[in-house]
Amino acid sequence: MSSALWLAVLAAALGTLLLRLVPLLWMQRRLRKLDGEPGADAMPQWLGILGPLMVAAVLGVSLVPRDPDATSWLATLIGVLATLAVWYRRRSLGWPVVAGVAAYGAVVMLAGLGM
Amino acid sequence: MTLQATSSLPRPWLTGIREAIPLLGGYVPVAISFGLVAIQAGFSTWEAVIISTLFYAGASQFLFVGMIAGGAPLWLVVVMTLLINLRHVVYAPNLAPWLTASRWWPWLMHTLTDQVFALAHHRLPQLPEAARLGWFTGAALLAWASWVAGTALGAIAGDWLMAQWPLLGEILPFALPALFLVLVMPRLTGRRWSLALGVSIGLAMLGTLAGFTNLGIPLAAACGALCFYLVKFDVGSKGVPR
Repeated sequence: MSSALWLAVLAAALGTLLLRLVPLLWMQRRLRKLDGEPGADAMPQWLGILGPLMVAAVLGVSLVPRDPDATSWLATLIGVLATLAVWYRRRSLGWPVVAGVAAYGAVVMLAGLGM
Repeated sequence: MTLQATSSLPRPWLTGIREAIPLLGGYVPVAISFGLVAIQAGFSTWEAVIISTLFYAGASQFLFVGMIAGGAPLWLVVVMTLLINLRHVVYAPNLAPWLTASRWWPWLMHTLTDQVFALAHHRLPQLPEAARLGWFTGAALLAWASWVAGTALGAIAGDWLMAQWPLLGEILPFALPALFLVLVMPRLTGRRWSLALGVSIGLAMLGTLAGFTNLGIPLAAACGALCFYLVKFDVGSKGVPR
């Protein structure tokens, strides 16, 4: 990597750390001012709303296949359904992902065999 | 998951490690696929491992190496990486009421990913105060280590894996949407939230199909937030909008 690229890596890494760290320091100060009472008012509403919506937007981006042909879309649909089915049963984070990847992979491989 | 609200934990870090093991099912496949993608994008194994160690933020890492490989200006790459990670600002404030007085907590915030937050937000309130730092350290460091190790595996064995199973590079990245889907699902708590989340997902997909992936993420989230504020359905009996 070039020096400029290393600088970009360090800037993005430091920025990410600050995005995680600074809000903690801010909130701890806010809580101290509120005498340590964890109340709903301590957290601004917009902050609580924007977080899940950013995750949803990243989900939307990642759902679009790299090569969006009919097979990829079908595999995505089946993968999503498998992920949801296991999530409804287990309510965990790990197994639904494994099931989704397995179902997605099965469709991709079956489509490959059929060609 | 067992509740241990009152009993003291002899080795809270070990409990944290044990309870974070399910996260690995999501982390390792995505980390392996990141290692593969980074190598394909022209990065070396060490560079991929360093990015995973220092960033430790899945989606933004894929975006970072993708934009670099596509020849995007470096300032734009950094800005887009930080925009994607902007969602992290909401995590630490949500945990702050449960954190004890220790100088280690600020440093541990580096390990605060979507999944670690979801787990910690669920477990920290249940744990005795003395066990929280140890529990979080065990859980968070296991998740971090698995992410870095998975990246190294994907990067080191990438060529061999691709030669043996050419479809692996196509299949493994699906772990990413699957993981985000699992994180979004618990948020569908009513029509208002469902609409806002649906708008964000749909607009982000349209943006990606139209070639505006990077700009589409914050815009889609902003439109979802706008939708949340503008569209109000019925108000519950206790005056709580749903």
